[in-house]
Amino acid sequence: MARSHTKLNSLFVGSIMFAPYFALLIAFGIVPIVVAARTSLEASVLNPDGGPLNYLQVLQDFRFLPALLNVGIFLILYVPAMLIVVAGMSLLLDTVQGKWNISLRLAYLVPASLTGATSVLVWYFLLEPTLSPYQDILKALGLTQGGDIWRAPNLAYIFVVMAFFTGAGNWIVVQYGSLQSIPDDILEAARIDGASGPQIALKIKLPLIKKYLVYMGILVFAAGLQVFVEPQLISASVYPGLASNWSLNQLSYSFAFQGNNLGAAAALSLMLLLVCIVSAVVLIFRTDFFEGSGVKRK
Amino acid sequence: MLVLKVGFGEWLERSRSRRNPVTPVLGGHPRVPQAEAYQKLMAGKVDIKIEVIAQADAQTKITLVNRAKKGWPDIIFGTAADTAQFLDPSNGFAADLTTTVSKDIFTGFGEGNSDCLFDGKYYCLKNDLANTVLWYNTKIFKELKLTVPTTMEEFAATAMKLKGTGYSAGAIGDQNYYASFLQSSECPLAQITAPNTVRIAPEDPKCTRVSKLVQPLLDAGVVDKRSSFDAGFIADVAKKNKVAMTLGPSWFGDFVIKPADSWGVPAGEIAAANMPAWGPAPDDRSGAYGGGVFTVSSHSAFPQAAADAAVWMTTSDVMAKLETTPTFPAYGPANKLWEARISVDPYYASNPYPAMAAGANKISQVDRPVRFPFVAQIGTVLQAGINGGGTLEAAQTDFAKSLQNLAPSSGYTVETK
Repeated sequence: MARSHTKLNSLFVGSIMFAPYFALLIAFGIVPIVVAARTSLEASVLNPDGGPLNYLQVLQDFRFLPALLNVGIFLILYVPAMLIVVAGMSLLLDTVQGKWNISLRLAYLVPASLTGATSVLVWYFLLEPTLSPYQDILKALGLTQGGDIWRAPNLAYIFVVMAFFTGAGNWIVVQYGSLQSIPDDILEAARIDGASGPQIALKIKLPLIKKYLVYMGILVFAAGLQVFVEPQLISASVYPGLASNWSLNQLSYSFAFQGNNLGAAAALSLMLLLVCIVSAVVLIFRTDFFEGSGVKRK
Repeated sequence: MLVLKVGFGEWLERSRSRRNPVTPVLGGHPRVPQAEAYQKLMAGKVDIKIEVIAQADAQTKITLVNRAKKGWPDIIFGTAADTAQFLDPSNGFAADLTTTVSKDIFTGFGEGNSDCLFDGKYYCLKNDLANTVLWYNTKIFKELKLTVPTTMEEFAATAMKLKGTGYSAGAIGDQNYYASFLQSSECPLAQITAPNTVRIAPEDPKCTRVSKLVQPLLDAGVVDKRSSFDAGFIADVAKKNKVAMTLGPSWFGDFVIKPADSWGVPAGEIAAANMPAWGPAPDDRSGAYGGGVFTVSSHSAFPQAAADAAVWMTTSDVMAKLETTPTFPAYGPANKLWEARISVDPYYASNPYPAMAAGANKISQVDRPVRFPFVAQIGTVLQAGINGGGTLEAAQTDFAKSLQNLAPSSGYTVETK
């Protein structure tokens, strides 16, 4: 009887705590998806009767494959770069304790304050050979004109650099936090057993923060798949049209606001959502993401 | 991008204030002084709310308010291509102005309002024209003993004379290549041949003659593959006052060549000449690089007031003043007043107005405003091809192919021959 009362109590408290999230999830997660699903079946100039043909038309659009390729290259470069560099820098940061640690963490966060338009402008300034403070280096590399840099084949690399410097600092600090959760006695035992610093980092610390890296990988992948700001701003301001419809999200935007085809835009958005969900589920279930969290049925 | 909202009187304004919130004016848009002048003029009679949004956001904004079914601006400033999208039944924002604007006004525009004519009806009013002319440096021409070209062949020959002199015949790596060369040549890349049918034919002789004429100039290095706005071109060539001549729109003088933070060419050197002709009339058209329009909302609660505001914005005497209208007014009488200002501008070596006026009446009408993002494709494909160092023929063909692919998604049937 007492046990069932405690269970009920726990359910009630849990529900109260979950309710705000649930309300927000419904309002800003589920409802938009339902609206998008309905919109994705709407009629358009291309598909006067509406229906699932919108999905097929998105896949057949001549801009779809190039945008998919662009985003694919971006992800192949961006996700591993983030994971490797962030993990490495966090492990290094973890070795620096004392008064320098706080200053270093702050230094990692500073580049993350340059986002969106600011980031694009800063990188335009840095990479434009005629304006850059590093123009001598650029010229030594044979890059003497803006057109040598701002070309379609280079865009993926430029966008990766922009996105990397915007996001890496934040994640380094987050992963540093996850390293702090490793119990000291485990590290102490490793040291007593004769493990070197690099061995402790690679064989003890890294496996113990794996789930946090998986979490980061999921979010970085989702953000990369939806890359939009960097190409859109380059196209809208710096080099008009250079990267229009470069990414899948930009293509969705074009369907909606240039092609007056909200059905196709919603269909593409839902396809991106599906890829994100499937990728996340695969990553979660192929790793021990939910294991060893310390929360066990009592 | 300028968005105007109009309403009658304070009492009416109060009654509809929920539907028509006061919106802020953000500085910096060339049309804002024009709108503010009208706002001042109509104070107490018609309430004008001014809002500035990015030009690229016009279609986005209208699509969203169409979706919300409320919040439409009464008038919006943008491009004729926006209007082509807005008048499509799937959008429906653009109002037919045939009944709300008097015939005298349309007559006063002459050919100036032809971009707004769709299937025999006017759906917008043209603010300014941006027809292409030949800008040349009188000092350099004198130094090199050059004569001002009157045909495109002469332009090419004159440009070739610049080889080895360190002087340039301009930069083509942006929309200027389309406007000054392809459009003036009447290359059919967005030719409406029937309702919802567009002809995109890059193999037409009027397209191929362009690449044949300009490619040798590019190869010889006398025209630049970069843009006139490219920081490198400005630093290496324009700022050193090495541009002997360039084709460009009527606004190039005041906005590109003159400003100290742009090319910064000294006063007394620059003149405008008639756009060189590809052939004898009628093969002597100009192109257009820009030129805005005011589109009136079909959803306006005050359709006449909205139309009147658009008429005033495009036809009033305020159009003659530099601080309110810096570019070439499309409306004839306003243009005459503007002429009085520009023709005595001491910056120019000679009066640039006659050349601007001559080209204004000859803007090619082969390509028309279309519903698909034609100009964006110039940047994505044509400009990228030129900047990247490929041949003009390849860049033109790729550009045309991208348009052929894009047009059907906006409901057009494409003709390629």
